[in-house]
Amino acid sequence: MMKEDNIIVCRCEDVTLKDIRELIKRGYTNIEEIKRITRCGMGPCQGKNCGQIILREISMITGIPVEKLTLQRYRPPFGGIKFSEVLGENNDEK
Amino acid sequence: MIETDILVVGGGPAGISAALACGRNNIKTVLIEERDFLGGQLIKQTHRFFGSKEERAGSRGIRIAEDLMNEIKKNKNIDLYLDARALGYYEEEKIFTVLQNGRMLKFSPRKLIIATGAFEKSLSFENNDLPGIYGAGAVQTLMNIYGVKPAERVLMIGSGNIGLIVSYQLIQAGVQVVGVIEAAPEIGGYAVHASKIRRLGVPLYTSHTIKKAIGNEFVTGAEIIELDRNWNEIKGTEKKIDCDCICLSVGLSPLVDILSQSGCEMVYIPELGGEVPVRNENMQTSIDNIYVAGDLAGIEEATAAMLEGELAGLCAANTFINDVKQDERIEKIKNNLEVLRSGPKGSKIRSGLNKLIKGETFFQGGRNTGSEIEAFKKTGIPSGENLRSILPDEKRINETPFALIECFQEIPCDPCVNNCPFGAITEGTDINNLPKIDYSKCTGCGSCISRCPGLAIFLINKNYSENTSTVSMPYEMLPVPQKGEIVDVLDREGKKIVSGKVVKVLKNEKMDKTNVISVEIPKEFFNVARNIRLVK
Repeated sequence: MMKEDNIIVCRCEDVTLKDIRELIKRGYTNIEEIKRITRCGMGPCQGKNCGQIILREISMITGIPVEKLTLQRYRPPFGGIKFSEVLGENNDEK
Repeated sequence: MIETDILVVGGGPAGISAALACGRNNIKTVLIEERDFLGGQLIKQTHRFFGSKEERAGSRGIRIAEDLMNEIKKNKNIDLYLDARALGYYEEEKIFTVLQNGRMLKFSPRKLIIATGAFEKSLSFENNDLPGIYGAGAVQTLMNIYGVKPAERVLMIGSGNIGLIVSYQLIQAGVQVVGVIEAAPEIGGYAVHASKIRRLGVPLYTSHTIKKAIGNEFVTGAEIIELDRNWNEIKGTEKKIDCDCICLSVGLSPLVDILSQSGCEMVYIPELGGEVPVRNENMQTSIDNIYVAGDLAGIEEATAAMLEGELAGLCAANTFINDVKQDERIEKIKNNLEVLRSGPKGSKIRSGLNKLIKGETFFQGGRNTGSEIEAFKKTGIPSGENLRSILPDEKRINETPFALIECFQEIPCDPCVNNCPFGAITEGTDINNLPKIDYSKCTGCGSCISRCPGLAIFLINKNYSENTSTVSMPYEMLPVPQKGEIVDVLDREGKKIVSGKVVKVLKNEKMDKTNVISVEIPKEFFNVARNIRLVK
C-alpha cells in the first residue's frame, strides 16, 4: 500500500497527500478552501510546487477536469518587504 | 516614480530579446531581473541549440547568452536593474512595484512585457522529501553555475529534453547516471539527445514511474515500477535502483503570478504547461498594455522564447513607432515560430495554442506523429531498418570516407545543411525534414561532425587498412584522448565491443569543445562502433 502520509504535497507548510485527500473527500473541492485550511500555497513558494498537484487531486476525486476547476488566486507583494518601506517610516525619499 | 516607455520583467532569453527589440528602436526600456545576473536558464545551457541558422542553431546556449548580455549592456536605451524582484502591478494606477536592495521602487511604464519564465513541476511519491531529491534545474545550477558535483549516482525522472540534457551534463561532470525513467511509452525529448546518453551506457526505462524514494536520513535508492497502456502500475514489476540522488525533470509550469494578479484573463491548458494568459498572435494579453513572451506563455524551447521576446518587444514598440521595416520583421518572426512548431515534435504546442484563442486557429497545418511508436523513439537506439535506410551503396562504402547522419526523427534543425562546404547535405524546404546526403558530393571531410547539435554524425573510412576501418565521432568528455592511445570502443548502447587505437584527434577553437576522435577498429565493426571510453 502507498503510504499517503509519507508523501509531501506542500514542502513549505509540510502538508501530506493524506491531508489533501481527506479534505477533498470531506467536500473541500476548491483550491482556495484547501489553502485556507492547510496553508498550502501560503509559504515561501506561494503554491508553485503544490498548486498543480492539489488541482490534479481535486480533479481525480471529483471527476471534474482541471480546466474547469477554480484556479489559485495570486496576490501582491510577491516578495518580502519591510513595513517601513510601505508606510514610509525612516524613508529617506522626500 | 520612475517613468519608462517599456518595462520588461525577467532577464531570461525572452525578456532579454524583448528589451533588445525595444532598445534597438530607441525606445526607453527598463529591464528588471530577480537575480544578480542576466541570462535565465541560458547560462546553464552548455549544449548546442537546435533550430535554424537564423536563430543561431549549432551554438551553445551559454555563447548566445554572452552575446545577448553584452548587447544589453551596450544599449543606452536599456536601464538594467539586477537583484530586482517584481512585487506587483496595480492596473488602475498603472504602477509596477519592484524590490531592490530592500527598497521598493515604483515604475510607471506605458507598456509592460512579462517574461518571468517557468518553474519546475514537482511529483508526489513516497518519501519525496528525503534529502537527495532535486529538481533538474537545481542540479544544473550546482554543476554549471557553481561548479559543485551534486551527487555520485543519479536517477533521472523524466526523459524530456531537460532530463536528457542534464543526464548528459552529469556524465560530463563525472557523475554516474544509473538510469532515466519515463512514464510515457516514448522518449519525451529529442531522440538524438537520448542516443547520446545511451552510447554512454545509460539505461532508459520508458513506461516506468517512481514509486518511492528509499533511505532514512538521505536517498540511498529508488523503487520504480512499470506502467501499462492506461498508466496503471503493473504489480510485480517493482525494481530497486541504488542511487544517492533522484533528479526530477517532469515538466515546467508557467510562472504567471504577476499576470493573474494584474487581472489578465487566464486559462488552464495542459499542453502549454498549466495556467497561461489568454493572448493574441502579437503576444498581447487581455489587458491592452501587457504583453507576454517565453515559457510563461506556454512551455517551449529557448529558441521559441527568444523569438517570442522579440515579437512582444516589437509589437509593444509598434505602439510608439510606425516603421514599415518592423512590420516586415514581425511577419518574419511569426513565420519562423510557425516553422519551428510545424514538425511532429511541435504537435503538443500546436494543439495548446489552438485552444488558447477562441474562434482563432494558430495552426492550420503541421505534421503529427503516427500512432505507432518506432523503436528509435522508445529506446534512442536506431533499428537495423533505420540504419539500412541511411547507408550509401556498397560501392560508395568501399570507395572513400563518408559521413553518416544517424538522425531519424523530424525535428527543427539545420546546422548540418548549412555547414557542409560541398553542399552535400540537404533537407528540402522544411527545416523539420530529415537531412539527406548526396554521396556523390560528400568528400568525407568530416566538418559536419562537430556542428550537429544531436552529436548524430559519424565519419566512416571503411578501408583504412586491409583489415581495419576508422570511425570518427564527436567527443565532448574530458580528458581528451591522445593520438596513439588505446581506448575501449563502445556500441550504441555503451557496451564495449573491442579495443581500438586513436589515430586522429581534431580539436580547434571553431569546434568549441566538440572534438572529433578517429578510432581504428576491425572492419566488421565499422557500423557498430559509436563511442569510446578511456582506459584508466
